[in-house]
Amino acid sequence: MTALPQFPWLSLLIGLPLAGALLCLLQRRSDGECRWLALTTTLGTLAVSLWLFVAFGSGGEGWLLREDAAWIPRFGIRYTLALDGISLLLVMLTAFLHAIAVLVAWPEQRRVPLFMALLLVLESGLMGVFLAVDLVLFYLFWEVMLLPMVFLIGIWGEAGRRRAAIRFFLYTLAGSLAMLLAMIALYLLHGEQTGSYSFALAELARTQLTLTQEYLLFGGFLLAFAIKAPLVPFHTWQPEALSESPAVGALDLTGLLLKTGIYGLIRFALPLFPHAAQACLPLLAALALGGLFYAAWCAYGEDDVKRILAYSSISHLGLVVLGLAAWNATAWQGSIVLMVTHGLTTGALFALVAMLRQRTGTRSLAELGGLWGAAPGLSACFLLFALASLGLPGLANFPGEILVLLGTFRTQPLWALLALPGLVFAAAYLLRLVQGTLWGPAPAGRGAMADLTLREWLILIPLALLTIWLGLHPAPLLTPLAGPVQAALGALP
Amino acid sequence: MIVPFAHVLLFAALLFVMGLGCALARRNLIMILIGVEIMLNAAAVALVGGSAHWRQVDGQVFVVFLMAMTSAEVAISLAMVVYLRRRRGTLEADKFDGMHG
Amino acid sequence: MNESLLFLIPLLPLTAAVLNMLFGMRLPRLVTETVAVSGVAAAFLLTLLFWGYADGEGTRATLGSWLAAAGVEVSFALHFDALAAAMTLMVTGVATLIHLYAVGYMHDEDDYARFFGLLNLFVFAMLTIVLADNLLLLFLGWEGVGLCSYGLIGFWYRQTENARAGTKAFLVTRVGDVFLAAALLWLFALTGTLEIAAINAQAAGLAPAVLTALTLLLLLGACGKSAQLPLMTWLADAMAGPTPVSALIHAATMVTAGVYLLCRLFPLVSLSPDGMAAIAVVGALTALYAATCALAQREIKRVLAYSTMSQVGYMFLAVGAGSVAGALFHLFTHAFFKAALFMAAGCVIHLAGGENNILRMGGLARRGPRELLWVFVAGALCLAGAPLTGGFFSKDAILLAAYTEGSPLFLVLWGVALLTALLTAAYTFRLVYLVFAGTPRGAVDPHPLPWLMRWPLWPLVLCGLGGGLLNLPPLFGGGEWLTRRLGGLAGRAISATHDLEWALGALATGLVVLGWGLARWRYGRFREGRDHRLGRWLLRGWGADALVEALLVRPFTAISRFCAIGCDRALVAATVDGIARQTSACGERLRLLTTGRVSTYLAAFLWGFLIMLGWFLLALVR
Repeated sequence: MTALPQFPWLSLLIGLPLAGALLCLLQRRSDGECRWLALTTTLGTLAVSLWLFVAFGSGGEGWLLREDAAWIPRFGIRYTLALDGISLLLVMLTAFLHAIAVLVAWPEQRRVPLFMALLLVLESGLMGVFLAVDLVLFYLFWEVMLLPMVFLIGIWGEAGRRRAAIRFFLYTLAGSLAMLLAMIALYLLHGEQTGSYSFALAELARTQLTLTQEYLLFGGFLLAFAIKAPLVPFHTWQPEALSESPAVGALDLTGLLLKTGIYGLIRFALPLFPHAAQACLPLLAALALGGLFYAAWCAYGEDDVKRILAYSSISHLGLVVLGLAAWNATAWQGSIVLMVTHGLTTGALFALVAMLRQRTGTRSLAELGGLWGAAPGLSACFLLFALASLGLPGLANFPGEILVLLGTFRTQPLWALLALPGLVFAAAYLLRLVQGTLWGPAPAGRGAMADLTLREWLILIPLALLTIWLGLHPAPLLTPLAGPVQAALGALP
Repeated sequence: MIVPFAHVLLFAALLFVMGLGCALARRNLIMILIGVEIMLNAAAVALVGGSAHWRQVDGQVFVVFLMAMTSAEVAISLAMVVYLRRRRGTLEADKFDGMHG
Repeated sequence: MNESLLFLIPLLPLTAAVLNMLFGMRLPRLVTETVAVSGVAAAFLLTLLFWGYADGEGTRATLGSWLAAAGVEVSFALHFDALAAAMTLMVTGVATLIHLYAVGYMHDEDDYARFFGLLNLFVFAMLTIVLADNLLLLFLGWEGVGLCSYGLIGFWYRQTENARAGTKAFLVTRVGDVFLAAALLWLFALTGTLEIAAINAQAAGLAPAVLTALTLLLLLGACGKSAQLPLMTWLADAMAGPTPVSALIHAATMVTAGVYLLCRLFPLVSLSPDGMAAIAVVGALTALYAATCALAQREIKRVLAYSTMSQVGYMFLAVGAGSVAGALFHLFTHAFFKAALFMAAGCVIHLAGGENNILRMGGLARRGPRELLWVFVAGALCLAGAPLTGGFFSKDAILLAAYTEGSPLFLVLWGVALLTALLTAAYTFRLVYLVFAGTPRGAVDPHPLPWLMRWPLWPLVLCGLGGGLLNLPPLFGGGEWLTRRLGGLAGRAISATHDLEWALGALATGLVVLGWGLARWRYGRFREGRDHRLGRWLLRGWGADALVEALLVRPFTAISRFCAIGCDRALVAATVDGIARQTSACGERLRLLTTGRVSTYLAAFLWGFLIMLGWFLLALVR
């Protein structure tokens, strides 16, 4: 363990995918080689993050690992990466889902090197977002992960991809602009007060702000994160972006990119502006609850399978945000666990929908049905992940959901009671989805259909095993969280 | 210096305004170029005047540069004028609005 | 022996389920069936073997931690006490017989691995409910049985109605689950633990109003699974599933989970008189409601479904009257004879060539196998509560408990229960007459039934007939074995004079005879009934489905349409797109400034220069 801090593990997590991306672009031999290269890179990254998990999975207080170097000293900008339990989980999720994503993207035929390179750059950006604790560095990675996603949607997406990509880009950019302004304002205020200009999170958290200043700056951060998460009035880019993006894009977007919003809230917005945040909790809870039901209703009324999943994602994140708003350790742990497991289950569902679409050529519920008879393996997986998504005990989403509810009930019983009918809502739209795809007679004119191929089994089996394992044994997720969550809540007033 | 510095400046200003008027008022590309040349020469006069007034050689050095630059500019611009004349058959400046928004 | 071995009881069926789900289709049929049956049978034998563990306070066993977060500590823990042991024995025993029956019943089905996998998984989930030491683990089983019920009701998924019935069952029971979850959250907030025993111990310290609210929440949760008013609409439709499923899940075990929940938490529930009254009222009303509905049903399985609902209502009444032993007694006898009736009904449907409608049956007494008649009539006698059958004793115990409770409300409920007993006898014998009496009115396809579809009925019927021995009251020379076995968990002790017991028994017997007479008078010889309004209304279950459809489903769908199409696509998108459109319109206007003409640009240079010059001059003057 003594040798560990000297080696830049965290930079490796960011650099490895980036190097892979460069290699993908530089090698000009074949698409196949590029796929293998991408897979090797993501597996390598996964190995590194697993090693970190083995080393630090038992949790602990404070930063588990930290790297710090001067970057632009003139403005007090440093290259600071740090890992704690929360980022450890998200780093794991990123590494794991990207290995899956490469497999999902395997059959892609158009401009494979660019595709894989973008995917790897995206991974790198996400790692950076989850590791950076210098605000400028965070902002840099925040934008780095935006661009590959825009291109993934814009180039490889479905019919309405251009519009969706531009909307996604502008919408999130507008949000991050607000965040950038708030960052700079905070930087200047901090500099004026202390005389030392710095973008380091720990430094800035010590700034003395008037309540008005806090409100304004918190608003800037909140806007960026609410758009990314997305919370309901700011969600309009999301169903379109998810339904128009290629399978990998949807998996990545829902599994990881949306999480960055919540992560930003936990890591930056709440510790930096605790008073404003605390005053805004009822607002946050109202948005979360409103979103929970509104999105569930939207999902129930939709006919497009991908849009249903997109809305279900919004609905679930409503519960995550509700847990944060409840402001106690139980609910926070639940929120973060739910965030991670939701990435797995909804990501799997999006991958399944891509397989479904590949076989049937449609994503409209009206034209699907009777899948169980044709492809039982695929259908069983679909059912499993749908059940996990509706929070069946014993599957991955349940521990997070119940902890959120238990924690929320302790401090805010009313919020928890209001959130409970969400159980029925989630069951309603997910069972409608299952009913429309798996059961009923097969639509006329559909030919024979192949069940899962080896590659698809390789995608689904790890996800399925994790879904069941984490549902029965969520300790690997909960243990690393205990320290950071206590610390985060303890530092807040 | 025989001529007062103020006169030199006044002369340069007059020359500049005349050149400007020419560049603005005329629609023929050659005339606009002549206007621009006149304005450049007005600046050169002012520089020479200044150089004589302060007994510094900088101004005159600058004028030499200016003359070199002007001749280069004329060479290029006249070549373009000839090219445009051949290509479009006109030298009317308002006819060239290919960069409108 | 190690107490951890108790975990084998639920885990053996789970192992069988996993094996069958993963590899069932690759294995020979016989292996799949053997695995399925032996998993459950082994659990039954183990329960017998471990019976001694339930003595006294029972035995606790912990397998490991499930959820350990800040302030929350939930583990996989079992509590094997008298209540749980008795229930486990019943569940595994009945399930074993039904699995055997299912092997015969599903003989021609191709997708048998899914069927047996789900059925085994169901047994696991049910045993989890029964054995769980904490409420969260109970909730796991609770949702698990819901899932299996969903999958099995919609087992023949190619007909959309079947899958829809499954979805409906899942959703309606999940509404109940929301209330159970609310109770769970509240209990955790109040007591800081989810262990059932600890909650029961701390219950006495809670405020009366809180206790009543908690009891009502638990009651609503129980209503969902047990198909009691107002969450009863799913059970009749659930008959779309294969008959063994109806017998196991929708008659013997899952629908009694609500009763079991209330029994488990009886120390808490019994502290709230209002809550107890509510439980009894719900039970009695459901019993009456379902009995009236059963009178008019035309499908054999729907009659039995409504009768299940009605009998579970009796169990609720017993819990409300404070008699856990009475509720469990009826639960057991009912499980035996109702499972037998369902399985016999499956044979009847088989013999009638897949016909479900009893109006188009008849004459099976002469054309069908004699054995089936005996089994069915024996089951019907138990259901009707004919003297000296198991149903008679258990129903009598409930009536006695309601009568001796003492308050006027319970006297009224007792009256309702008596009326229900009359109706029960009437619809039961109506069913018997319509199916067996007279001449065949539809296709009869007399063929020998598979061996496995015949003999599992006998143990169940015998248990049903002799079920009274389980808790035979002293009046008949019994020792109330079940009550003594439950000990402190048995609830209120029922004390009544022998005269009263005789009187009530005679009254009940009279009602059975009266009901039989009515049924014989109307259905002894088949007459085509007129299609009258009351009958149609009863057939539709008092129009409950239509009411739910109009009050809940349609508004929900309308709102969701509005949200998805009206609001999210049109309105919100319009505002977002509107901003974009305004921005580009602005750009469009600004574009006009760029004429592309050199002269314009030069003029603009000049003006800009002049303005700057003016600005500097102004600054100079200042």
